[in-house]
Formats: sequence, structure tokens, C-alpha cells
Amino acid sequence: MDYDPMVMDDAESVGPVVKISQADSVRTKFELSNADISFANSLRRVMLAEIPTIAIDLVEIEDNSSVLADEFIAHRLGLIPLNAEGADSLLYSRECDCEGHCEHCSVRLTLHAKCTGDENMHVSARDMVPTGDRINQAVGTPIIADAEGLGPLILKLRPGQEIKLECIAKKGIAKEHAKWAPSAAIGFEYDPHNKLRHLDMWFESDAKTEWPPSEYATWEEPPQEGEPFDYDAVPNRFYFNVESAGNLPPDTIVGEGIKVLQQKLAGLIHELTEGEGGDGMNGDYSGPRSPEYSAGADGFGGGYATPYGNGGNQSSWGGAGGTTPYGTTPYGAGQSWS
Amino acid sequence: MPRATKFTKEEPSDAGSDVAMDEAPTSHQPESRDDMSIDPNENEEVEEDEVEEEEETQRVRLLPGSTPTAASFEFLNEGHTLGNALRYIIMKNPDVEFCAYAIPHPSEAKMNVRIQTFEGTTAIQALEKGLRDIQDLCDVVTDKFIDSREKFAAGISA
Ligand SMILES: [Zn+2]
Repeated sequence: MDYDPMVMDDAESVGPVVKISQADSVRTKFELSNADISFANSLRRVMLAEIPTIAIDLVEIEDNSSVLADEFIAHRLGLIPLNAEGADSLLYSRECDCEGHCEHCSVRLTLHAKCTGDENMHVSARDMVPTGDRINQAVGTPIIADAEGLGPLILKLRPGQEIKLECIAKKGIAKEHAKWAPSAAIGFEYDPHNKLRHLDMWFESDAKTEWPPSEYATWEEPPQEGEPFDYDAVPNRFYFNVESAGNLPPDTIVGEGIKVLQQKLAGLIHELTEGEGGDGMNGDYSGPRSPEYSAGADGFGGGYATPYGNGGNQSSWGGAGGTTPYGTTPYGAGQSWS
Repeated sequence: MPRATKFTKEEPSDAGSDVAMDEAPTSHQPESRDDMSIDPNENEEVEEDEVEEEEETQRVRLLPGSTPTAASFEFLNEGHTLGNALRYIIMKNPDVEFCAYAIPHPSEAKMNVRIQTFEGTTAIQALEKGLRDIQDLCDVVTDKFIDSREKFAAGISA
């Protein structure tokens, strides 16, 4: 059979399709179809690691007579989900004009508890009090999702023990630290019958009976008995299960995820189009210009260079005269491209 | 037992990620100095971090050895999230002969994209078109998601 690229494009001309199968305050399950796995995976990755939320980043401990070490408590505080509504319009502390932190780039929370009774006292997220100005009334408030309305347990105090501290919650992304993750988990699944054989199922005697079918197994046609393997098949339907940690509602996570991806792209396009007009690239990162400069002038030789550069005959240790790996001082002398 | 006030940083931040970009070497190229060198400027780098933010750092650049129709780009602070989707969408462009991406080293936040085009378009144009195509794709998926959510909500209340 001749390869006809139009056959593939036919399905794609319909464009991506989204179908939601479950949506509530904690999770959204949806199917993305007619999209490529590379895009579906980008969406998954961006939702996991790059959506800005807010989490405690700085803890000033005034008094701690509990059995737990300051650092241990500070770490626990960092992991408490805080409401990230409007965190988007919060500034990153490192980009704010203020010294240290202010209401435009942080939320201040205080915790003061003393066990005055004769039974052990539980200190939980409910006891954290947002203080000072905030960009809105929701951002930075601890998420309380349990029936008792207590929120996550931070520590316990024996009679007479006391904890007094102040926290600074800052905006961040999960790529830097997992405490900024908006999602508790993101389910990502395709090809429930493993027709593409991307999975190699371990089994005792029979993989079919030992592995439970996916919840999406009924959504797709099971393979026929003795069906030949389709070498041209690619995954086309992707099943997402976005579970929120409470700081952002699940459908906001999807929306924000795409937004982050868009911003990434917009930034790069801006850079590319800006670089085109200008004379450009004298420094390393001053933008791509039309590559009309003479090949070889930079010591990289003409013609094809591998994407890893060094197409010429330089030793990978730089300095042309260098005989030892460390060459002559200063290292890399004679390289004109820096 | 009241104690002296002290600051506990919740997590040590990654100092390495703050190095000014103009200090950073190209992928797979030798550092202009290495750990064994004695560099009188070594300490200045720390202070430069404070000054660094005045200008937006450039996130894409053309690697040496590129020609108009066959170019390699280096992206800073990008990874598989952008790389794979970009590779796919650029390869969909019929004017593109070849496109691939690589992350040369896992501990360097750099992603390289190689684009080779047929006559009539340049690698830079193909890259820009690729980026815009993903943007359009994002727009469509956003609309479809909002649509679908509304339909789902209507289905529940009905
Ligand atoms: Zn500030």
C-alpha cells in the first residue's frame, strides 16, 4: 500500500476533540483525541510542573517548644496547599521591586498555638491565619477539604508546649519545588488494549487474565483474534485524569496549563521576530538573525555542523594550542564566538 | 522558653540556576574556566547576580555553523515539554525536510532543535511557523475544552 500523507491529514482536518467524562471539584477526566502524543504529553507536563501557585517558602520561627525541629515544621508548612486563586497576578518575589517580599509578591500567614489544656493539642492548617494585605481575599488561605474542617495536621503539642511562627508564602512553579504543584496527580493513558505494543506486560502465565482492563477498555475496539500488527498506527486518543490538590480547581488547571504553554510560545515568537529586524547577534544570546555570516569565521568550519556545534577540528577542550585538557591559560582562548 | 528569632529557608534554592546567562557556555563547548582554574573574577559572579535582572535573557539562539536552510537552535530553560511538540509540528510543515530535537545533557537546562528545510523557506521561518502552529493548536484545544465542559455541566443539570 502506498503511503498517502493525506489519509493521515484527513483525520486531523477535523482538529482536536475534547470530551469530558467526569468533572467535579477535585477531578476532571477528559479525552483528547485527534491530537498527537507529543502535544498531549506537553499538556500533561505543563500541568504537572509549570502552573504558578502559591506555597509557604519562608518561615520565621519565634517560639517552638514542640518535639519537632524547626526545619521539620518549616518543611511541613511548605507542603500545605494554599488557595492559588489569582496567584497568576501575583508577582514572583525575585521579580518584584520590593526588598525581600511585599503584598504584591507574597502572602503572610501566622500561626500561634499553645496547649493550655491537659490533653495533647492538634495544630492544623485551620489555625494558620493570613495577615496583612493581599491581592485578593482568597489567595494564600489554607485549603480545608476534610469533613471536620481542620485541614492538614501540622504538629501536636503536649500540655505547656507552644508554637509561634510567621510564614511568607510566595508564588512559584512545581519545576522548582513540588510544593507548588497544582495537581495531586495527572492520569495520562492511551491505547487501553495495548494494540500499539508500547507496553510490555509482565505476567506469570497469561497477561490477558492477570492484568485488569483499563476503565477505557470499553471505549476502544478490542483487537481482533489474530489481527496483524499495524506498523503505521499511532496513538490518537488520550485519557487525562486531572486531580487537584485543592489550590486550583481541576478545570482551571487545564486552562492554566494551556495558558502557560501559550505564554512560553508567545515569548519565543516575540524573541524570534524581534531578532529578525535587528542587526542582531553579536553576543551569545542576542537573538537569532538570518544566518548570512560567513561560515568558518567563527572557527567552526563551514558546512554542516552537528547540532552540538564543534563541527570544526577543534579539540573539545577549546584553546587551539592546548595539549592538556586544561590547555594553556586562559581557557578557551581564541574562541571568537563568546 | 522563648528563643532567639531565626530564619529557616524552607528549601535551599538552587544557586546554580541563577548564573547570569552571558556567563553560561554553549552546549558541549568547553567552559571558559573550570573548577581547577584560579580565577580572580570568581567572586564577582555572585555579585553580578544582583545586577543580572535588568535585561531579559535571550532564550533562543542560533548555533554556529547554521545556514539559512539548515540551522540548529539552542533554547534555554526549555525541555521535552516544548521540544517534542515543536519537533512534531515543524515536521508537519511540508517545506521542512528534517526536524529533530535533543537535550544534550540532563543537567543543563538547554534544548537543541535542528531544522533543515527545502528551498523556499528558511529554518527560522519554519521555527516561527511551528511555534505559531502550536499556539493555534492550544487555542483550539482551549475552545474545545470549554465547550465540552459546558456541555458536560448542561448534561448534569438536565
Ligand atoms: Zn514584593
